[in-house]
Parts: sequence; structure tokens; C-alpha cells
Amino acid sequence: MVRRILFFLLLTLSVVMTIYGGFFRKFLVYDNLEKFDKLKNVGISIKVPGYAGSTANFKPESQWFSEPEMVRAMTFEGVKRYRDGKLISNYPDLRMLKGRIPCPT
Amino acid sequence: MEKIRFKVQLACVALLNLGLFQWQNVCFPVLNCHSCPVAVFSCPVGIIGQFVGLGLIPLSVVGIVALAGLTVGRFLCGWVCPFGFVQDLLYKVPYVKFDIPRWTRFVKYGVFVGLVIAVPVFLTPGFPVYFCRLCPVATVESAIPWAVINGTTDILSLSIRLVVLFAIVVAAMGHRRFFCKVICPLGAILAPLNRFALLFPKRDENCIDCGLCNKVCPMKTKPDQAKFGVYDNAPEECVSCLDCRKKCPTDSIKLWG
Repeated sequence: MVRRILFFLLLTLSVVMTIYGGFFRKFLVYDNLEKFDKLKNVGISIKVPGYAGSTANFKPESQWFSEPEMVRAMTFEGVKRYRDGKLISNYPDLRMLKGRIPCPT
Repeated sequence: MEKIRFKVQLACVALLNLGLFQWQNVCFPVLNCHSCPVAVFSCPVGIIGQFVGLGLIPLSVVGIVALAGLTVGRFLCGWVCPFGFVQDLLYKVPYVKFDIPRWTRFVKYGVFVGLVIAVPVFLTPGFPVYFCRLCPVATVESAIPWAVINGTTDILSLSIRLVVLFAIVVAAMGHRRFFCKVICPLGAILAPLNRFALLFPKRDENCIDCGLCNKVCPMKTKPDQAKFGVYDNAPEECVSCLDCRKKCPTDSIKLWG
């Protein structure tokens, strides 16, 4: 009986986790802020599609990622933590996280 | 049953590495590296490690693994996991066969807590002893293919991987399902849930306690230490391969019911 109750408790918990994580949970991921630090300090320009303008016009962007999108991004280690704890793209541009194939580990 | 299982395992290896499409937003609860150029799903162990490295818990991934564990349990290890299939084949290679101590089955819990959780949390997923950096499945499915496709500059890392892979291959040739039993961190997650799994071999009243099931069980450690098959003595280890059912003289073992 105890086993059956525990089974249904765990089953309910896992269903709730799967549904909440799969459909409702969101993460705010910022553009690579280290890139902007470098640009600010050194004044270099990089070739990223959509950022054709001068470095002065660059602004960090952010995007909401669903958990499945985060899962996909983590298959190629696409997200990391910035110094202030924000989730940032591990790649030069935030948009590189979506639709990319995994890289070798 | 053994032939059916072989065909199912072969089909699963093909389906999980179809390469025609990639659906890596979703984890499939077997050890199949998502960095493989043709992998369809994500590996839950790799994703859990990466997430905990960020201080997050991947709820959907943990939920899917828990759901799988509660419904089919380690049936996935026995029938679906590609590396389980590889180990089944490796054991058929003529080589010195050996037993391992019973306590070794607890090593996988240490591997999960230490190399999958603690290393990314306290160090970084890039650290050389993070599980995915040593994982034999990642070596076979990802490191070697990508080294061939792109070339590699990290010879040291690849060499360490190959040494670990070689050791596990040798161990799997000598002891059946060595990796599943001793090292697999996904097995460590599924094992406690195996006690609750709906799909699980059970004995009925026809059992005469002959102990034949014991002798064929691939997940036993030392035969003299098991009681009536691994599913009585250590139910968390049973991979539902049903080798015991094949040997049972009274046909008293059922997968469900």
C-alpha cells in the first residue's frame, strides 16, 4: 500500500515536472555580454549578421527560451552564466543558439 | 526472447541514430550522446550535467526520466539502450570471464553524484573529469566521428577518452553489462525507480526456487550472493532482459501482471 502511494506521488510529481518544464518554464538569456565588454574596452568590431553597424550601436539583447530550447542549446554548451549571474550566450550572438547543430564535446 | 530482444535493440540503435531529423529539445532516457552527428534525441545525463553547472534543474528532463523509470524502469537499459546492446555483443567475444564484488554496483551512484553533479557545480562542465568528457558512449558516437570529420587538436583529451573506452570495452568483454552495473549514471537514476516500475519480471506460485534464473542473470554480481534471481535480491538492477524466463523450467516468470 505504501509502495502504491509512493508510486502515485512520484508519478504525479514527474508528470507535473514534465508539463511545467516542457511547456511553461522560461529562461531569459542575454546576448554574449563578454563580447560587449570586449568591444567596449577595445573598440573592436566583429562580423555577426545583423550587427553591420559600428560598435557604438551594439546593444545587448535578450530572449526568452523555453526549457526545451534551453535543452537544445545545452547540447552544444550554448549557455553560461555571466559574472552577475545572468544567463548569457556562449556564442558571439544569441541567435546562434536556435537552430544550431551540436558541436563536438 | 533473446532473438526478439536482439532485433528490438538493433532497431532502437537505428531509430535513435537515424540522422534524418534531430529532435534534441527532448531527452530520451537512454545513454545516447546528443553530440553524435546522427543522434535524434538529447542525452539526459549530458543535459542534467550542463544544467546543474548553471545552477538549474532541467525539470522536463528529470520528469521524463522519472516517468520512464516509474513505468518501464530499467527495461530501457535491457531493450533500448544502444550501449547496453554494444555490451551484450562485447560479452559474446571469447575472453576471460570474471565476477565482480557486490558492492561495485554502488559505484554508479558515486559516479552520478560526483562526476555528473558535483564536478559541474563546483568546477565546470569543461573540467576534464566531468562525466561527458570521459563517457565511452560520447567517445564512440561523438569524439571519434567528429575527430574524423573535423580533425582534432586536443590529442590529450581524445587519448584519455580512448583509454577509458578501452578499459570499459575490456571489462564488458569479461563481465556482462559491466558499465550498466558499475558506472552508468543513468542507471543510477533509473535503479531506485525500478522498484516501482510497472514493467518488471515477477515470479508466480509455480516457482520451485531452483535458482536457474540466478545463473543466467546478466545483472547479478556473485551468483552465490543472489537469492532467487536479481529481481528478488536487488530489484533495482534488473534490466528485464528475460534471460531468466528462457531458462525457467516451470515458466513462472512474467514481465507484467
